[in-house]
Amino acid sequence: MTAQVTEATLAKADPSEEVLLEIRGLEKSFGGVRAVSDVSMDLRAGIVTTLVGPNGAGKTTFFNLITGHLARSGGTVRWLGRDIGGMKPYRIARLGIARTFQDLRLFNDMTVEENILTVMEPGALPFSVSGPSAKEKREKVARVMERTGLADKARTRAVDLAYAERKFLSMARIMAAEARLWLLDEPASGLDPNSYATFLRLLREEVAAGVTVCIIEHNLDIVVGISDRIAFLDRGRLLADGDPKSVLEDPELTRIYFGDRA
Amino acid sequence: MEAYLLNLGVLVSIYAILAVTLNFIMGYAGIFSLAHAVFFGVGAYVGAQMAMHVSASLFVTIPAAMVVAALLSLALALPALRVRGEYFVAASLGLQMLAITVFSEWKGATGGIGGLVGIPAVRMFGEDIYRPAAFFPLAAAVAVLVLIVTRLLVHSSFGRSLTAIRDSESAAESFGKNIALIKTISVVVSAALAAVAGVLYANYLSFINVESFTLNTSVLVMAMVIIGGTGTALGPVVGAALLLILPGLLSYLWFLPQTEIGAIQQIIYGLGMAVLMIFRPGGLVGRSAGARKRRKRDALKAAAGQSEARKMEGAK
Repeated sequence: MTAQVTEATLAKADPSEEVLLEIRGLEKSFGGVRAVSDVSMDLRAGIVTTLVGPNGAGKTTFFNLITGHLARSGGTVRWLGRDIGGMKPYRIARLGIARTFQDLRLFNDMTVEENILTVMEPGALPFSVSGPSAKEKREKVARVMERTGLADKARTRAVDLAYAERKFLSMARIMAAEARLWLLDEPASGLDPNSYATFLRLLREEVAAGVTVCIIEHNLDIVVGISDRIAFLDRGRLLADGDPKSVLEDPELTRIYFGDRA
Repeated sequence: MEAYLLNLGVLVSIYAILAVTLNFIMGYAGIFSLAHAVFFGVGAYVGAQMAMHVSASLFVTIPAAMVVAALLSLALALPALRVRGEYFVAASLGLQMLAITVFSEWKGATGGIGGLVGIPAVRMFGEDIYRPAAFFPLAAAVAVLVLIVTRLLVHSSFGRSLTAIRDSESAAESFGKNIALIKTISVVVSAALAAVAGVLYANYLSFINVESFTLNTSVLVMAMVIIGGTGTALGPVVGAALLLILPGLLSYLWFLPQTEIGAIQQIIYGLGMAVLMIFRPGGLVGRSAGARKRRKRDALKAAAGQSEARKMEGAK
C-alpha cells in the first residue's frame, strides 16, 4: 500500500531549479526506534516545501539531522553538492541554513534589538574585522523590526513579549541571518488570525525575495496557501512527496493523517 | 580607624576584581566555576616571583601573571567546555583541589605551605607603594579599569554572543556561533583578569601562602557575585564590599559573644543567603523574581497550539 502511495505522488518539483540540499537515504534510530527511515529528498532553490504528518512522524528530527543538532545513523546530506553530514551545527549554519524552533528558543534576557543583532554577528571577536559596519547592522535591525511589527518593542526583553510577538521575533531572527535555506518548525502555530495574516504576507515576501523554505506545519491553509510541494512523513518514512493537490487528495494519506474519523 | 578603612578599601577593590571577573563568566556565559581562587593564586605567585626576581613594576608583573593564568585556564576550558554545564563545575572543583596541592607542595615556585615572604612593594614614580593610603587609590583604579574592560566586552558583539549562548545554546549554534570557542575565550579573559587581583594582593601584603587561594575563597567570591546580583554591572562590587565589611561590623555589636563571632558570622551568612534567594533571587542589584516564570510558557503554548491545531483539523 505504501509503495503505491509513493509512486502515485512522487516528487515532480521543477527540475530546472538548482538543488540546494540533497538528502539521500537519511536514517536516524534512537535505540530500537527508527525516527527517520530511508528519507530521500531534494530541496530546490525557491521552492516552498511543507512537511506534514502526524505527531511523532519525525519531522523535527528531520530538521535536527539537517542542521547537525542530531547525528544521523545513515545516509547523506549534501549542501550544494558538498557533504555536510557530521559537521557541527554552527558550521552548517554558516553555510546558509537557518532554522526556527517549535519552542522558539529566543535569547530571553536580551532585548528584541539584541536578539536580532546577535544573529548577524556569529564571529567570536569583540570587534568585526570584516562584514557590515555597525551602522549598516543597526539599519538592518531596524528594517527587520519594522517588517515584523516589533519596532516599538526594540528595547523590550524577549521574555517580556506577548506570545505572537515572540513568534515574530523568532521570524525576525531568521530574517536577519541572511540564510538561503530556512527550516521553519511550526512558525504559525497558536497565532491569532491577524498575526497569522501578517505572518503569511512576510513569508510570501521572503520567498519572493529568493529564500528557499522548508516548513513544518499542521495548518492546512498554510500548507495549501503557500506550498509548492508537500512531503508527507509518517513514522519516519517519506510516504509521499509531490504537488499539494495530489498529496492532499490521496485518500490513504488523509486516513493516516486524520485517523479513521475522516 | 582610617588605616582600617583604607585597608578594607584595598581588600574590597581586590575582591571586587575577583567578583567582577567571575561574574563575567557566571552572569553572561552561564559558566559556574569553583576554581576562581586558582587564578587569583596563580596571579599572586607569578606576580610575587616576578617582583622578587625580575621587576616590581606592575607593567612587568601584571602581564606575566595574566599570560600564565590564561594558559592555565586553557587547560581547564578546552576539555571541560566540550561537556555540559554541571561537568564544568565538577572539572573546576577538580582543578581547585589540584591547585591547592600544587600551591602547598611546589616549594620552588610557591614556597610550599610557608608561602612567599618579603615580596617587594610596587614601585611607581620612584616610590614604593605599600601604605594603605597610597595603595588604595592604585587598587581602586585597577578595579575600575577591570570593571570597564568587562563592561565593554559585555556590550560588544562578543558579550551578546555570550548572553545568547547562555539563554539558548542550540539557538546560538543555529545562528553560526562557535560555542566552544566563545566560551573558551570568556574563561581565558576571566582568568587573566582575576590574576591581576592576585598581583595586587601579593604586592600589598608582601606575604602570600596557600591559605588565601583555597576552595573557601572560590566559594566566597561566588557568594559575592550571587548576593550582589549575577549578571549585573555593579552587583559583584556591592557583594564584595558587603561580605568584607560584614565581619568587621559584627565585632562592633556589643551584645554578641565575641569569642563565638566566627560561628555567628557563618549563621548570618547562611540565613542571609537563604532569605535573599527567596525574596531577591537575582541578588541585591538584580531584577526581582517573575521573569523566569514566563520561560516555560513557550513550550507550553507550542504544545497547546499544536494540539489545538490537531483538534481543528480532526473536526473538518
